[in-house]
Parts: sequence; structure tokens; C-alpha cells
Amino acid sequence: MPQKLKEVDVVVIGVGFAGSILAKELAASGLKVVGLERGDSRHSVPDFQAPAIHDELKYSIRKGMMQDVTREAMTFRNGHKEVALPMRQWEAFLPGTGLGGCGVHWNGQAWRYHEEEFVYKTHIEQRYGKKILDPDLRIQDWGVTYQELEPYYDRFEYLLGVCGKAGNLNGKIEPGGNPLEAPRSREYPNPPMKEQYSGALFRKAALELGYHPFLQPSANTTRPYTNPEGLTLNPCAYCGFCERYGCEHFAKASPQTVILPVLMKNPNFELRTESQVLRINLDSTAKKATGVSYMDAQGREFEQPAALVLLTAFALNDVRMLLLSGIGKPYDPTTETGVVGRNYAYQTQSYVPTFLGEDVHLNSYMAGGASGTVIDDFSVDNFDHSSLGFIGGCYVLCGSTNARPVEFHPTPPGTPRWGSKWKDAVRRHYNHTAIFNLSGTSTAMRGNYLDLDPTYRDAWGLPLLRITFDFPDNDVRMSRFVTHKASEIARQMGAKIVVDSPRTGPFTTTSYQSTHNTGGAVIGADPSTSVVNRYCQSWDVPNVFVVGACNYPQNSSYNPTVTLGALIYWTADALKTRYLKRPGPLV
Amino acid sequence: MTKTHSIVRTMFVLLVAGLIVASYLAAQTVTSNKATSNKSQIALRIVAEGTTRGAVACARCHGFDGASDGSGAFPRLDGQSAQYLAEQLRHFASGARRNALMEPIAKGLKDDEIEAVSQYCASLHTLAFPSRPVSERVRDLGKQVAEVGDLSVRVQACESCHGPNGGGEPIAGVPYLSGQYSHYISVQIQMFRQGYRKSQQMFVPAHNISEQDIVAVAAYFEQASRPAVK
Repeated sequence: MPQKLKEVDVVVIGVGFAGSILAKELAASGLKVVGLERGDSRHSVPDFQAPAIHDELKYSIRKGMMQDVTREAMTFRNGHKEVALPMRQWEAFLPGTGLGGCGVHWNGQAWRYHEEEFVYKTHIEQRYGKKILDPDLRIQDWGVTYQELEPYYDRFEYLLGVCGKAGNLNGKIEPGGNPLEAPRSREYPNPPMKEQYSGALFRKAALELGYHPFLQPSANTTRPYTNPEGLTLNPCAYCGFCERYGCEHFAKASPQTVILPVLMKNPNFELRTESQVLRINLDSTAKKATGVSYMDAQGREFEQPAALVLLTAFALNDVRMLLLSGIGKPYDPTTETGVVGRNYAYQTQSYVPTFLGEDVHLNSYMAGGASGTVIDDFSVDNFDHSSLGFIGGCYVLCGSTNARPVEFHPTPPGTPRWGSKWKDAVRRHYNHTAIFNLSGTSTAMRGNYLDLDPTYRDAWGLPLLRITFDFPDNDVRMSRFVTHKASEIARQMGAKIVVDSPRTGPFTTTSYQSTHNTGGAVIGADPSTSVVNRYCQSWDVPNVFVVGACNYPQNSSYNPTVTLGALIYWTADALKTRYLKRPGPLV
Repeated sequence: MTKTHSIVRTMFVLLVAGLIVASYLAAQTVTSNKATSNKSQIALRIVAEGTTRGAVACARCHGFDGASDGSGAFPRLDGQSAQYLAEQLRHFASGARRNALMEPIAKGLKDDEIEAVSQYCASLHTLAFPSRPVSERVRDLGKQVAEVGDLSVRVQACESCHGPNGGGEPIAGVPYLSGQYSHYISVQIQMFRQGYRKSQQMFVPAHNISEQDIVAVAAYFEQASRPAVK
């Protein structure tokens, strides 16, 4: 018999960036907030301290910071006629767990989206006509614009202490920055990171080819910085242990470094870790949430009543929680009805290994998670697609996030995969190889979606989330085009060997690509094609707000975190200034 | 009288030590190449005599063996990262690190002399002076801050940068702390804390750390054993 607890004002499911910021804002305005986190509590001290944190085997290979795959995983298939099978280890993407969520183990690549991405469908159709779209593509507008989100982008960037150089200040192009970025209202809070040697070589080559290189915006802090919450960050030491690791230096922006200490001090907030939320409970009308049910580490079930439920548990988990709770109509790809699980998208990654030869010494291990030199010339819609027959694009990044010895050993094609010849090739190429990273758009497609698996269940007996996904042909054509362009830059750098390797299908879960899983609980102006309204509020159950990359109607070239940060503060503002005054649908 | 005697005795010890070092280096020149031997000779002359351009002999304060006098007024340099020492000399010369004693000395050294003398000090390995007694409570707190950090003041473990056991990261130019004199360590943290000594990496931790933690880590590192010279 579940134990019913005392009602609170707000329950937050998942305490990562979204959960901790929303909880902080609402607790500060006087509401009683409970944060339910399925993983453990953890802090920069002692949990992320070196040398223990620099354990490649534990964190990179065995994915020590990720969701426990033996308790809760996803099933996957490429198409709806296949039978999905559960993932037994994380490879393609890495869903985190524990206090701080993915905000602990991210690299800190801190991009804004473009203005036209928020009105993507309108923009593409205006610029190219409807004919450029393959019939099965399902792009759409966000229902909220860049101009509306700009102040919230700004606020999140100053919370994190993002490092970069403005390229477009209020419409004025600034030297040294990215001239193609969306206009920003003020300069970045901190200067950009140091340029790596590979980045300097890339910059020269890119300039020679007429592109616009700049240093990637980063949330690995470059100087002592005190954020608006009064928390001080330390400069990055370029140790090369960023993604998949916690930061020992208080240098990478994470909930632990930029917001949690403030939240934890507020007596209105209570954190409950090792609390597995089973469902959001609805009343008899199914239009109002009454709270959530969760299980603690002892296996005891609790019912936590709450007036407001915030679902902030990572894109994939958010969608699953909606499906498990019966909130919103599940999407059906055959009839194209229903919305929950619709427009699931990913990231179309490709790489260009660039072997520069033994006389070029890169020292790539001197790296931060977001260090690197990049061009934005081929991102999203920064170039004319009219004669190309596809939409979307990639940014092209040269720089390393690390050169950790267990994972990083680039060898040219044709090298044996083990033995003395392999060792010899590693020796000859380890310090002399740059790997371009192309992060590409993922266009929503009719057949790509999320639903509940009919067969496999988690440790609590609940159905797993089923992912049905393959790369749309549009994205494969896009990847081929941009990857070739990147290879030209690699050759311009004087590389001895360039491996032009665009992304090709089918999508596989067995090689790492990106943890930028998006969509499934899409934001929008039309309830027939979106799960939440422009304030991330559920159309069906107005006292449930869902904030995550699951809101993105399609995926951009850029890393999603900073745009999510803008949505978080935008939603916090809507909650504080509108919803709390008059609870009910905001649209 | 006793005092004079002890000074004479110290001078004698230093002289003998110097001769031993000199003969050791002289012996080394047989096997090492000419460039290295020149470098060592340059270094040894600077350590013993200084330069005519205003650098006072290093040995005057830091001893021939680099162990200084044990008071903590001067840091020990033996086995210290050559990268770090050279960088500090350049900072003294440029005024980036302000120090009235070291500034004219560093200005009196040419670039190759800075390199030579830094590498020379890095190559030394000297027995430590006996460390000052410290209570178990202070030592345990120091060990905790050094190895784990202090969340209450948002300070990371010293050893996250200064290496396991505070042995330093010589190639990266991160100095060792183990075996360094506690007085010197605590004064330097205060220098960072009060902004007299500038460092991107040390600014925030030195600013956040508590007075109690400073005393404890300094005492802890003085007791920690010195890294072996590679």
C-alpha cells in the first residue's frame, strides 16, 4: 500500500539543469518544492576529484556516470516493421543519471540556435518552396521565436559563464566572433578558450578557402567568474577529462557549479535522491495531475501529492513518463494521429580524420571539452540549398576534447585492428592527427518516433521506451555534401591522409555519435502537432510542464544545452509571472 | 660565540656541498654532451657567484643544495619543476610576480641562464630538514583538503592540479608542494588570496579556502615526502 505524503506546491522529476533551475526559481518565490532524482547525490567535492575522476576505464569505457542499463534501458529498431531489442550497453548515446544529470558529464559546447530555426517550416518553404522537402519529412515551427527567447539565452549564458567572442551584437557584425550567429544583446560573459594548434592550422586553411573560422563558444570557464547567483567558477585547466566525467576544478558549468548550492540552501526545497518516479497521477477527469508516485531505494512506494508537476528528466525519459502516465495521445505513424513520441530526432554526426604527418605535433591532450576552432558556414540554413536537393547542414569543428590514451588512437584505413602493426600505426599517428567533428541537423520524419515497448520492462515492471529511428535520406545527402566540404579544408591543411567519412545509414546503437536525442514532446502552437504549448505546458494536463530537448520539433546542427537553458528560463518566467497568478492553460 | 660558530659551520657545510655538487657535475660532463655540460657550468657559476649584471648568487638564500635555510622564508627549489622555476624567474623579471628580492636577480639573468639555472635546480635532490611537529588533527584536516577538497568553501583537492601526494606535474609547470616549507606555502596562498601574486588557477581556490584549511594544508604538505627526481 503506497504511503501518501503531505502535499507540496511543486514536484520536480529529475534534478539536472532544467530541474534545478526551475526548482530554484520557484522555491525562491516561496513555493514548497520537492526534487525527485532517481540517481545518487554527488558534488564536485568529493565525487569529482582527481585522480579518481580521471579513470578512463570506469567513466569512458564502462560509462560510470550513465543510467544503469540493467535496471532501465530503451529498446531500439530502425523501422516499424522490425522487432525492437533492448540496449544492453550504452554506445550511440549516453543518458546520464544522478544529481545534476547530463549537466555533469557534458562537454560544455555552448551554442545558440539561429533565428530561422524557430520558424523552420515557414522559413524553408518561403526560401525554397515546399518541393525541396522529401514527402516523409515533418519539420515545423516552434511557436516561440528567437527574439522572445533572446533575454533567456542571455540569462542562461551568464549563469554558466559561457566563454566566446560575440560575432553579432544587436545586428552589428563584430570582428573575431562568428559573423553568422544570431544577434545577441550583449557580449559573452567570458573570453573564448585558448586555440589549440590543430585549430590554428584549421583556421588558416578555412580562411584560405573563404570561410569564417572562430573559437567555439564554451562552458569551460576561461577566467575566475562569479555568476549572478553568486557562485564562483575557476578557470579550466585543459586536462582533457570533460565529456563523460565530472569536473574537479569547478571550471565546467554544471548544476553543481552554477545553481545547486543556492537551491540546496533554500529551506523551501527538499531533494530526495534514489527516488524512481513511476508515474504522474491524474484525477478522474485526466485533465489535472494530483502528484506523482515514486519508489525509494528500499522499494517502498510513495504518493507525493503536488499542485504542479515539472517533468525535467531528459528528453527520452520525459516522453516515457508522459506515455506511462497517459498524458497526451500517443503518436501513431501509420495514421499520423496522436502527438506523444512524434518528431523524435537525433544528430547527424560525421567525422573527418585528418592525418597530418609525423612532423606536425598537435599535443591534442591539452584540451577542454569545448575547445576548438569551428566554421558555421555550413550549419542549418547558412548556405543556399536551392540547387542541392536537401535541407540542413553541419558545423565543422576542428579541435580535440581530449586525447585520452584508452580511447584516442587514430589509425589510417587499412591498419590492422590489433597487433604490432596497429601499435606502430598508433605510435606514428597519435600526436599528429586531428579529427574534424561535424555536428549535423536531424530532420524529423514520419516514421521516426518513440512509444512504449510491448515486450520489455524495467526493474519496476514498467514498459521500456521504444525508439524507432533511421536517418532520413535527406540527412544522408546533407552529410555527404558537408563532409566533402570539410575534407577539402583538411586537404588545404596539408594532410597526408584525409578520411572523408560522411554519415550513412542505417543508424546503429553500437557506435558513439551523440546524446542529443530530441523531440517526442514537441513545443508548438497547434495541439494536433505538439505536446506542449509555447510555455512548455502540457496541452492536455495544464498543471504539468515538460522542459527538455524533447520539446525540439527537429534537431539543429548545434548542441542543444544552451537553447534548453533559454527554454528553462522562459518557462520559469511564464510560471512565475503568469501561471502562479492564475493556474490554468496559458494558451 | 656559539652563533658565529654555527655560521662558520654552515658556511663550511655549504662549501663542501658545493664542491661535491661541482665534482659530481664535472664527472657528469665526461658522459654528457657538450651543450649540457656548458649549461651545467653556467648554472653552477650563477648558483655560486651570481652574474655581473646584478644577479646575486642563488646559494646565498637557497643554499647550494636548493633546500634553503629551513625557515620557510625562502622556498626549497631542489627537484622543483624546471618549467615552473623558469616561468617564475621570467615573472619576477617582468614584474608579473612582484618580489623586491627576486626582481633584480631575475633581471640579471639572460634567457639561457634562466633555463640553465632552472634545470640545474630541478636536477638536485636534497635531504629535507626535519619538519615541524604538527598535531594529528591539523594533519588530518590538511590531508583531507589536499586529497579531497572542502565542499563547504567550494575548494577542490590541491592534488587535482599538484598531482598525487602533491608531487607536482613538472612538465606542465605545476610545482610540487610535498616537502615544501609550510611557512612558504601559507604565505603564498595568502599572496594569491590578497591578489599580490597573480594566477588564473590559484585565484579562486586561494580566495575561497578558509584560514584553518591554509594552516592545515601547509603543515600537511611540509610533512609529505618529496617526489623522487626523475
